[in-house]
Amino acid sequence: MQITIDNKKIKVGADWTILKAAQKAKIKIPTLCYHPDLKPSGRCGICVVEVNPSTGSGEPGKIMTSCNNLVREGMIVKTKSPKVLQQRKTNIQLVGCNFEKEEEFRKWLKLENLPDVKELRFKPKPSRKPDISSPAITIDFEKCILCGRCIQKCRDTQSVNAICFSERANAIKLDTSLGLDLDQTTCVQCGQCSVVCPTGAIKEHEHIDEVKAVLKDKTKHIVVQTAPSVRVAIGEEFGMPIGSLVTGKMVTALNKLGFDMVFDTNFGADLTIMEEANELLYRIKNKKPMPMFTSCCPAWVNFMEIFYPKYLKHLSSAKSPHQMFGAIVKSYYANKYKIKAEDIIVVSIMPCTAKKYEIQRDGMACDGCQDVDYVLTTRGLAKLLKEKNIDLKELKNSEFDMPLGLGSGGGAIFGTSGGVMESAIRTAHYVLTSKEIKNIEYKDVRNSSGIKKTTLKVAGQKLNLGIVHGLANARKLMEEIKSGKADYDFVEVMACPGGCIGGGGQPQPTTKEIVKKRASAIYQQDRKLKYRQAHNNPQIQQLYQEFLGKPLSKKSHHLLHTKYKKRSTCRR
Amino acid sequence: MPNAYGLTTFHLMKILTKNKFQTWEKVKNLSSPKIIKQVIKSELTGKGGANFSTGRKWELSYPVKYLICNADESEPGTFKDRFILQNNPELLIEGINIAIKALKAEKTYIYLREEYKSLKPKFNKIIKKHSQYDIEVIIGAGAYICGEEMAQINSLEGYRAESRHKPPYPAQRGLFSEKTCVNNVETFARLPLIWQDDFDPKLMLFAVSGDVENPGIYEAVQGIRLADLLKEAQPVDPKAIFFGASGGCLPYDDNLVLTHENIRNKEAMLGAGGIIILNQKRSIVDICRSIIQFFVDENCGKCLPCREGNFRLLQLFQVYLKRKWTVEEFDLIQELIPFVTQGSQCALGQSSTLHLETAIKHFKKEFTDHVENNS
Repeated sequence: MQITIDNKKIKVGADWTILKAAQKAKIKIPTLCYHPDLKPSGRCGICVVEVNPSTGSGEPGKIMTSCNNLVREGMIVKTKSPKVLQQRKTNIQLVGCNFEKEEEFRKWLKLENLPDVKELRFKPKPSRKPDISSPAITIDFEKCILCGRCIQKCRDTQSVNAICFSERANAIKLDTSLGLDLDQTTCVQCGQCSVVCPTGAIKEHEHIDEVKAVLKDKTKHIVVQTAPSVRVAIGEEFGMPIGSLVTGKMVTALNKLGFDMVFDTNFGADLTIMEEANELLYRIKNKKPMPMFTSCCPAWVNFMEIFYPKYLKHLSSAKSPHQMFGAIVKSYYANKYKIKAEDIIVVSIMPCTAKKYEIQRDGMACDGCQDVDYVLTTRGLAKLLKEKNIDLKELKNSEFDMPLGLGSGGGAIFGTSGGVMESAIRTAHYVLTSKEIKNIEYKDVRNSSGIKKTTLKVAGQKLNLGIVHGLANARKLMEEIKSGKADYDFVEVMACPGGCIGGGGQPQPTTKEIVKKRASAIYQQDRKLKYRQAHNNPQIQQLYQEFLGKPLSKKSHHLLHTKYKKRSTCRR
Repeated sequence: MPNAYGLTTFHLMKILTKNKFQTWEKVKNLSSPKIIKQVIKSELTGKGGANFSTGRKWELSYPVKYLICNADESEPGTFKDRFILQNNPELLIEGINIAIKALKAEKTYIYLREEYKSLKPKFNKIIKKHSQYDIEVIIGAGAYICGEEMAQINSLEGYRAESRHKPPYPAQRGLFSEKTCVNNVETFARLPLIWQDDFDPKLMLFAVSGDVENPGIYEAVQGIRLADLLKEAQPVDPKAIFFGASGGCLPYDDNLVLTHENIRNKEAMLGAGGIIILNQKRSIVDICRSIIQFFVDENCGKCLPCREGNFRLLQLFQVYLKRKWTVEEFDLIQELIPFVTQGSQCALGQSSTLHLETAIKHFKKEFTDHVENNS
């Protein structure tokens, strides 16, 4: 099929939208509510084009949205005709009335790559109070332009339905379900809404000021740890190519910010694997509730506590990597280096918004000391660096500090869907057989399209494994398990599409394509590392020898494991 | 003499008095293709406003999983469906029976306007007695937009009544993502009449209201002169005719020929046959203001141009109550009209400024009288 866009002849597929055809032909059409991962809604009307413009004879050209209208044989499209420009201008001016300050609006137009408009003819509408009730997510309703992306994410990708539109017509508004405070809704704090919000109406509680204040406090020993997914994404914030692995530069940047120690959450991930793999084998041996679910994703844990409390026994009791890490810093590390636990501040740099909720959960503290004190998202760290005029791109490489700066390849791949499973297989195989697994890159667990099932044969046992990402998929899986249709032994669930690399705290834009590139950077890193299995990480071995004893020991349980409880939501 | 409904013609009496379920007894033994062929041949067209051939629509949809009877009549000045629902619900159910048989629908919903909900028990009784099919009466959620077929489908699925983008059309992927056919109450009610010898596809119901002595339902053939249609309704000193809120307006003209094509050529829409007559004392600008208010309240809120555009229009129309418009303000009004029409994705938005467009065209002086320094 052939169509013409701006006098350029283009071969197109029959199921293409006009926008897709234009993008393939490198013709730019400004968009706002369009997002490559979501169903186009046509709500904002900014991507309009003129179709079959009048050639002096027949019908006048028709203005239509290009994101959701399909191509037709012989279609003639103009993307910059006077009619289009006029329509778009009025549209953008009307979007502008959501902004209180004109400068803010113009800055935003630039950021979103939208054409500027000379005058603003429409007055702003009255504003509403922001919702700051949730420990992780804030909603500034005033900035909302009703594009509906967040709602689609929350409803379709995550099946959580914490936010929705309420009222109709001119009174339509972004709202929480039943108009409750966000922390009273079913919100699991995954932050997927914040990754797709084009105006920053929904974002995380930043905690940047708090971290800046702590950094100035000389009486404290400030430790920072960085999650595996941050190093493959933060480069994007500084104009580097997608999928750039910037571990060394990131460490330099953190040193420059004034952190006393820069450690690696990959170490914590290795520790999680040691505990979790052993817990799995313990559960199988002792006929404990099966399947066992991973518990390193706090949004998934929230999801279980809210929607499937009957299955909480199935969640691994192991804390997530950064929580384990925090607990070890405030016990083992504090003892070893003779620093008082209460003088240590642990800051986690995470691709995640739910981690902000997780750190203040019950049971995430030992002996009165919260495991982790502050969480910054990948976006948050980038913002802090920009404030301090630190350009990550220009920095030299540095190494993590020791002893908690060494992570194995097994820890590194935690950042992508299937990674926890693969790492667990590497270690569980060794624990069961005392031999390393032959195909260390166990690719059967990679590239889950949402729900993937595979079987592992080890030491005469067959284990049914499940790899799930996206909470709507998790819900499907839970319904299967509930109805007795599924017989899994071990299931990895990540709330965000693609795993943590697609997390709610990652840079914008985050799309399926971008997540793929970040994943390949993660696997590339795994291949380069000296130690690729958690149990071979010498620092982990040392930690067990000197301090913990063995996995699932009493000390381990005290420091590294936690409990879950049913949560009631939708209460006023 | 007209009765309370302004009933006059023979055919309308037939709608009221036709022998119940006689046609169905004949039709129920026919095959689906035969029924569809007969409906195509009859030239019956949809009475919801689009005037598209019912038979052709069925041919394109066949077979469907769901059939929907759109009984969410809510266009201002339109009350012809209520007339059928109240006075001969049997005829509607008979028509639905025929449609189910023709389209092989597994499940049928009657989407009944919330304001008409008192009729539900009566319907259920008739369905129980006269239909072996699965027909369910659903009470609408109370919004004007629910009358738009895609929004109605969303509403039936339990979602917000927001219009969905077409394509896919209901015939391709409609209710619960299955093939679906949506028809209007009057369309169904006219189906059984096809098998009568004196069936006339041009007959339609007009709901006449406004400045007339005898408002009510009148049945007439398309092509009737306006004066003939209103002979018994008796317009009083008429100035303009509005075709509901969304059909636009025309200056009153005795010789106006009421066909879909003719009205369309004059850039208005006959739609579902709502005729509102306005007398010489009425201010067209004020009527437009109240219609804008209607659309500001009743759009679904989805597309920015319709939602924000109509809201800004209303703001401008509140200005003129206090002072005259500036030239810029009047220009902006005229700029927002095509902005809303072009930028909206459903029939509601696309026609929500038609009243204004046609009013300014035909009654320009009334508007310019409200503009500063415009002599």
